[in-house]
This record gives sequence, C-alpha cells and structure tokens, in this order.
Amino acid sequence: MKIPLLCLLFVSALAAAGAAEQKVVVAMMPKAKGNAYFISCKAGADIAAKELGAELLFDGPVDTNAAKQNEIVENWITLGVDVIAVAAENKESLSTALRKAQRQGIKVIAFDSDAAPDARSFFVNQATPEGIANTLADEAARLTGGEGEIAIITATLTASNQREWLKRIEPRLAEKYPRMKVVAVRPSDDLKDRAQSEATALMSAYPDLKLIMAICTPGVPGAAEAVKQAGKAGKVKVMGLGLPNENRRYVKEGVTDCVILWNTGDLGYLTAYTAVKLVTGELKPGATSFKAGSLGEKRVVGDNVLLGEPFIFTRDNSDRFNF
Amino acid sequence: MKRPTTGAAPGWRRIVFRYETLLVVLLVIEWLVFYRFGTSTNRRGIVVGFGTMERQFDILRHSCEIGLLALALTPVILTAGIDLSVASVLGFCAVVFGRLWHDAGLPVWCAAGATLLAGAAAGGVNALFIARFRLPPLIVTLGTYSLFRGLAEALTRGAVTYTDFPVGFLFLGQERWLGLPTQAWVFLVVALFIWTLVHRRMTGRVFRVIGFSPEGARYAGLAVGRTTALAYVMAGAIAALAALIYTARLGQAKADAAVGYELFAITAVVLGGTSIFGGRGTVPGTLLGIAVIAVLKNGLAALPAVIRLNAAEESAGLLTGMLLLVALALGAAPKLLSARRPRTPLPENLPIPKSP
Repeated sequence: MKIPLLCLLFVSALAAAGAAEQKVVVAMMPKAKGNAYFISCKAGADIAAKELGAELLFDGPVDTNAAKQNEIVENWITLGVDVIAVAAENKESLSTALRKAQRQGIKVIAFDSDAAPDARSFFVNQATPEGIANTLADEAARLTGGEGEIAIITATLTASNQREWLKRIEPRLAEKYPRMKVVAVRPSDDLKDRAQSEATALMSAYPDLKLIMAICTPGVPGAAEAVKQAGKAGKVKVMGLGLPNENRRYVKEGVTDCVILWNTGDLGYLTAYTAVKLVTGELKPGATSFKAGSLGEKRVVGDNVLLGEPFIFTRDNSDRFNF
Repeated sequence: MKRPTTGAAPGWRRIVFRYETLLVVLLVIEWLVFYRFGTSTNRRGIVVGFGTMERQFDILRHSCEIGLLALALTPVILTAGIDLSVASVLGFCAVVFGRLWHDAGLPVWCAAGATLLAGAAAGGVNALFIARFRLPPLIVTLGTYSLFRGLAEALTRGAVTYTDFPVGFLFLGQERWLGLPTQAWVFLVVALFIWTLVHRRMTGRVFRVIGFSPEGARYAGLAVGRTTALAYVMAGAIAALAALIYTARLGQAKADAAVGYELFAITAVVLGGTSIFGGRGTVPGTLLGIAVIAVLKNGLAALPAVIRLNAAEESAGLLTGMLLLVALALGAAPKLLSARRPRTPLPENLPIPKSP
C-alpha cells in the first residue's frame, strides 16, 4: 500500500517542477476540423496568433458532433487555457460547458455560429444580413447593368436566414435599381438537383430572364448547371452565396459570374485577435471598436465584433482560396 | 492428465495471475504516466491538466454512458450473444424522451419513466427474434442497429433537436451529488445490480451455461429462452437509462446521440476479459475495461504532444485498438504457452481413453 503512495508523491513532485507556460493560450474549436472552410479559418488564426505571440490550439470533432464539442471544451477547461473560441454546432448543448469555462475564469467568444449570449463575451459575426443582402443586390445590379428581370432561388421559403436576406434584397433593389424586377422566388430545398430543375423551369417561363441569384450554397452550382445545359451561358447570368471550390468549374467556364461569401481567413484572424485582446484586457465589453492588426479598425455593435463587408469571389481571385 | 498447480496454488498466485490484475496494473501505469506528463501549471499559476480533481470527475461523467452500455452488454456476451443495437436504442430513446417531454407535454419524470419502458420494448424486439425465433444475434441486432437509428431520425425528420430541459433533470448529468457526479451514482447502482445478477444469482450461472452450450442448457431443463430474452430486454432498458443521462449531460436530445458508442462498449467488455464466444467473463473485468479506456481517452487529451498535434480523438482511437490487441494477446499467452510446452513430461504408459 505504501509503495504506490510513494510513487504518487514522487510523480507529483516531478509534475510541479515543470515550467509554467507564459504565452496566452487560445483554444479554437470549429464545427468539424476536417472541413475546408474551417481549415482556412485556422490559417488566418495562425497568422494572428503568431503576430500576437500567442499559442493557438485548434481542435474539434472529426465530424459535426455536439457531444464531442462538449468534451473538448471540458478538456480545455481543465487544461487551463486562457480563452476559448467556438463555432457552436448546437447552441444549447455547448453553452452549458461554456458557462462552466466562464465560471473558472476562462474567457469565451464565439465565431461563425453563435452560442447562447450569456455563455460568451463576444460573437465574431462574419456577416450581417444587411451586408449580405446589399452586396448581393449591388452585384446583381452591376452584372445586369441595373435593369431587367431576375429570379431568386432560396433554400426554403421558411428558413430564417433566407427570409432575413430576402426581406432586405427586394427593398434594396426597388430603392436603388428601380428598373430591375424580381419575377420569381423559388425554393430548392437546399438541393443542387432541385435548384437545377427550378432554374430550367424559370428560364422557360421567363425568356427575358437576365440573371439567376441563388441565396443558398447548393443553389449556385445547381443554377449554373441548368444555364450551361440550356446553352445560355453569358445570356442568363448566375451569381449568389457560395463557396469558391464548388463553384470554381462554373466560374472558370464563365457560367457563374461571382459568388459571395466572407473571407474565411480574415474571419479566423479576427477571431484569434479578438480572443487575445479580450484576455489582455484591450477589448472590454461595451467597446464600440477595436484595432484588429492588419484588418484595421473593426466595429463592435453590442457584443458582436463585425468582420465587415462580404467578399466577392470572381474568376480573377478565386484561385487564392481553397474551401 | 493432472495439472499439479491448480487447486494447490497459494492465494497470492491466484490473485497475481488473474487477468483482472493485469488490468489494474495497466490502469495504474496509465494513470501515473498521464499524471506525470499531463499535469502542469498555467500562466495564472493554477495547476491544470490531468492531475486535477475536476478532470477525474470529467472522466467519470464522460464514461458513464459507454459504461452503462458495457454493463448491459456483459450478460448478453456471456450468453455468446451480441447486441450491436445498444447505441441506436440510446439514440432512439433520447428522441422519444425529447418528444414525450417537449411535444406531448408530459412531466419530465413521467417522460423519463416512459422512455425506460420504450428502451425495454426495443430490447424486447431483439429478444423476440433471438430468443423466440432463434435467429443469430449478430444479424438480428445489425438489423435493429439500423432500425432504431432510422426511427430516431424519422421521429425528428433528422433535423429537430430538443433542448431547454428543466434544471431538475439536467442535475442528473451536469451536477454533483454527495461529492460525485450524479450519474456516477446511477452507474454504481446499475453496476451493483448487474454484478449481483451475474455473480450471486442463479441467472448469472444460466447466462454462462447458455454461452458454453445452449443445447446442453436446454437439455438440462434451464429456461434458455427466458434468460436470453432477459439479457436483451435488460440491455434495452439500460440503454434507455444511458439515453437519459446523455441527454441530461449535454442538455440536448438529437437523433445522432451516441453514434458509435456500441463499439466502445464492446471493446470495454472484451478488454475486461469477457470471451466473445460466451461463457466466460466477469463484471469487475468489464468495469476495469471501461476505466482503462476512459482514462486513456481523457489522459491522451492532456498530453502536451497530443495537444500540439490537436489529435486527441485520433490517438485515442488508435491506442484503444492497440491496447485491446495487446491485452488479448497477453490474456491468450499463458494458455498458448501451456498448450505448446506441457510443464510435466507425460508418463510413459499413458492409458488410452476409451471413447464413450
């Protein structure tokens, strides 16, 4: 009985002799760590961590899994990291663990998808509904020369983010580009095939259609495929919200003119920056702006740190991004 | 042939050469290694990492559900059966519980009771096919493995997540009671129940006899069908209990609850020394198997090298697999060696046994 006890004392003495780490430790969790979107976030976060002399841990579930996210946060709590930045797979289930982290004096922020407001200090908001809607409307106007018939493909007519965007796109068009007309809004159930058949139907129903705007990510390649098969590339323009990789082929072929999203590298950079500045006390709740390194001055509205205007991926720049 | 050591072995030898002792040694080594290399002081001067009390509680909380499934599987595997559907039943029960409480508006404890019944019924489906129709457990539970996960997804259309459970219910998964995480007490009660059943009751003996020879058990007049059915129904009910704990721990019920847990649970049982061919195995062995895997999983995530690589999940999977193979090899080694090289030379004039 005595020998194990002695062993225990011995190892604990050894452990206590270990040197203390002086760097700020930022623990960043994506929804899934193999996802190219989050890998490009990490690239930005790495740059920020290097600039600020912080240590960045980047871990998450292999596939989206709320239980795993929970366990990773609890792991970080007992590892005593300084700040945790999460993209929450599920608001409720993760927030319990995040509140626990806060109780232990660990700062918590969210990025990409928010946690419960009381479970984090800030949310690094990649895009406001206004920003998205205005950029979509303005780009559509630029591509059509500000006149003609356009159609919109959504995920579903009830999805909350889609409705938020639609609610802002149509007034923006009516106000700034009165000669443009939205002739149809069609759901695609967030499926590429469905978007393709909807786009085909739209083109035959409205022969004068000048542009199809898809505001869900599978919608853009779906619409592009329809336009390509109809041989109307260039005549009916395609644009919308989407990831550069799944649209690259159509963008290269000149079917899709542009896809709009945020710069994920910048999102990661801003997240890591916010995290470190929160620990060092340079960013406090209630601030209205703060200086985020090479991104410059960033606006803070309430507890949201805003990344700013969406990013437009075109034929010229999309090769720089891989997600 | 007489083996001179058995029976005459002194007490210490019987303890030292037990398989469970190997597991205890393994567990202690694991723990000390993680304590040595996984504990440090952070920049705020707080001792952090594996050596904290918080961490030990995390191990308990994170292993309860897999532990319950492993306990449920022990009698099943003793009868030479298998239940691949336990984690799917867990997912199904989590969704049933969410629906009953949230959509049907039942009080939370009524919903919990009904969920346990639903779990037992799900186990009953396995029991019906295996004990009544005498179909192979592997195939039957492979079917129910998909069936119950599919039901869970259908009930939620794959999208609904139930949250906002009352604080009183979350206590089961997130708080401590009398110094230990609440669910650890539930686990202890179930462990004690299964231990009593397997090691102190006639039923446990029947489990083993069925595992060795179901036909023999039948000829001996044992209630083979009923006892086999009991093992599967119990597995379903315990999986339902695990579903409640899982839901309370995460505060959410979703169709993907505990995906893949059945394999961890089977690993724990087999690592604990239970023969996959049935007949042999102990509940303490299963408990040790769970502990070895849980400490490994948690401890690896505290090692600086693993943290730097951000590879806790992958390395845990890798090492669990290796551990299982090594433990199986070590467990099989003495038997293989004694079979190869008999210690006492055979007597010259060995009587040839007559066939009966």
